[in-house]
Amino acid sequence: MAKLRLPLFITRHVLIALVIGGLGGVGFMLFLIEFDHYTSSNLFCTGCHSMTYAEESYQSSPHYNSVSGVRASCGHCHVSEGIFAATWDHVRGTKDLFKQLFGADYDDPVINLLHLPEAAFHARRWFKERDSATCKRCHELDAIQGKRADTATIHREETEGKSCIDCHYNLVHRHVPSEETFKREAWNRMVEEEFGLAPGTAEALLKTP
Amino acid sequence: MRPNRTRLQHLMRLGTGAFLLSLAIPATAAKVTLDPSNWSHPAGDACVSCHEKASAGLAQQWHDSAHAKAGVNCMDCHQAEAAEPDAREHEGQIIATIVSPKDCGRCHTVEFEEQQGSVHAEAHAIIAERIPALAHNLTGPAMQASGCDQCHGSVVKVRGDGTLDPDTWPNSGIGRINPDGSKGSCSSCHGRHLFSKAQAREPEACVRCHSGPDSPDKEIFEASKHGMLYASQRHQMNLDADQWVAGKDYTAAPTCTTCHMGAAGKLPPTHDVGLRNAWSLNTPVSEQQYLVILDDGSKIEMPASADVPKRGSEVRKADGSLAKVKSVADPKRRRQAMTLVCQECHGKTFTEAFMRQFDNVVELYNTKFGIPARAIMAELYDRGLLTPLPFDEPIEFTYWELWHDEGARGRHGASMMSPNHAWWEGMYLVGRNFYSRFLPQVREVAGADAQAIIDRHVGSSEQHQWLNRPGELNPILGFGAGEGGDG
Repeated sequence: MAKLRLPLFITRHVLIALVIGGLGGVGFMLFLIEFDHYTSSNLFCTGCHSMTYAEESYQSSPHYNSVSGVRASCGHCHVSEGIFAATWDHVRGTKDLFKQLFGADYDDPVINLLHLPEAAFHARRWFKERDSATCKRCHELDAIQGKRADTATIHREETEGKSCIDCHYNLVHRHVPSEETFKREAWNRMVEEEFGLAPGTAEALLKTP
Repeated sequence: MRPNRTRLQHLMRLGTGAFLLSLAIPATAAKVTLDPSNWSHPAGDACVSCHEKASAGLAQQWHDSAHAKAGVNCMDCHQAEAAEPDAREHEGQIIATIVSPKDCGRCHTVEFEEQQGSVHAEAHAIIAERIPALAHNLTGPAMQASGCDQCHGSVVKVRGDGTLDPDTWPNSGIGRINPDGSKGSCSSCHGRHLFSKAQAREPEACVRCHSGPDSPDKEIFEASKHGMLYASQRHQMNLDADQWVAGKDYTAAPTCTTCHMGAAGKLPPTHDVGLRNAWSLNTPVSEQQYLVILDDGSKIEMPASADVPKRGSEVRKADGSLAKVKSVADPKRRRQAMTLVCQECHGKTFTEAFMRQFDNVVELYNTKFGIPARAIMAELYDRGLLTPLPFDEPIEFTYWELWHDEGARGRHGASMMSPNHAWWEGMYLVGRNFYSRFLPQVREVAGADAQAIIDRHVGSSEQHQWLNRPGELNPILGFGAGEGGDG
């Protein structure tokens, strides 16, 4: 039996570097996995007070309380699958952190609601660009039965060229109109009415950074 | 069709203005003049394909409709501009859930114009101010959505998030104020999505609202000869006919539509449902009504006692804006239009005598009960014997039911030939109420002053003198002459 002979350039130092590098790489990947797992959790996302408003509507939706016992977390829908994509989403997500720290006072329920439509439009675009990939982590078009017999037929026959988000928006969070029919003025008046504010307050609040 | 020259010319001599001009147009349903290239929206097929599964009943009704046959699809009626208040995105299209009269009027222009400004279109506006005093105070605001607004129409509110406020929608009340500003709801009578001609011609089209204690028109019609004939000869009514002119396309019986809206002989159809009504019958005191037609197409009802404006003068509308008077139809003219319907089946003398019987009941109600009761109430309020707040004192219910329920029933009963409603359900109860509830309550409220008040408004009238003959015998109660009773 011939002795396994390493190439000459694998010196002892190279070998040590490779082992350390390899272990470091595995460690880094494990870190990323754990990091993404943690930063996709509801606990992490609602760590900022501004996110608790989104949590309220989420908790009254079937994605939180489903009869099947399956519960979708923030990350299941809003963070892509796969460690690299997930990491990238989190890197991009730091802009939210930046805005939380240096932007408007999103912790204030009025400010939060005033800015909600733009956030919703952004999230919808995100889903659309990915062809509703995160929906499909759990939902399989061919397996959709629904409560009514028609639901299955509609999903099989009427969905060509459509993505889940095309029809299923305003599903989990507070109702926001489609971007093309959105009317800022009407939205502002609604917010003012809801919080008992004088007309025009909304515009003033939106101007102050 | 060829107009009957002599009658038409005779009518032309009787009056002027838009009302008579409208008599000169042919007596067939208005044809849609919009070019068909304006409908059959390309996205319509996709709506149908999905809605056949999602809401099969609705889709089937549309499939069976004249709209489907003409190629008018979902998008043709439901399409919207993004800027419209109630526009929303649905499956890639911008649509509005509510199809308003203005939307229908895109094709059905004549009907839309006739309907705007009609007593139907104004049904919400007419009672808007009064609703809180009854529905809200007596019960609660919840009753407005499921009670008042179901017939009178809601003010549809589009919320800031683009959704329709569930306190105001769904609603198909006939005076609905739509997000686009138009008034009314065509589907109030024309059930969606079949929009069947036959269905709208049936008396049942009106029953949802024209029934019950204050306007029992369904019950009155059913109890009348007209209703009896309709029930027994419905198969001869030709209800599905394209053209439906009374006296020509059907003669078996009239329905609500026949008299109040339908074409009859030379009289054209109208979607202004109150046009042919000479009287107001749902008021504390009935008045003959003028119809003032303004140059912007809107209309105002004015009681004969008011200062009726002349043609060309400016009047202030309910919303505060000014408009010029285009024409004025006096009550006589309105009665003439109704009479033309009658005369498709009845003789002139017969019709006139019937109208006289009807008018006599209205006059009797007015002079004997309506006017005195109103005057007494006014004095009680003036003297501070009643608080201004309605319905916090028993007599206010008594007075309300006297004119709004019993009085309206009696007057409607006489107008549409139900003897039961004219008498037992109507004027008998008015009389019983007046003598056994209203006057005793006036005495309670006014105490020592009561007799003077009652004498002032009631005592002088010949109609109430029977009370001063207490000795007069009559066997009706089982006592008195010929009955062998105590008398």
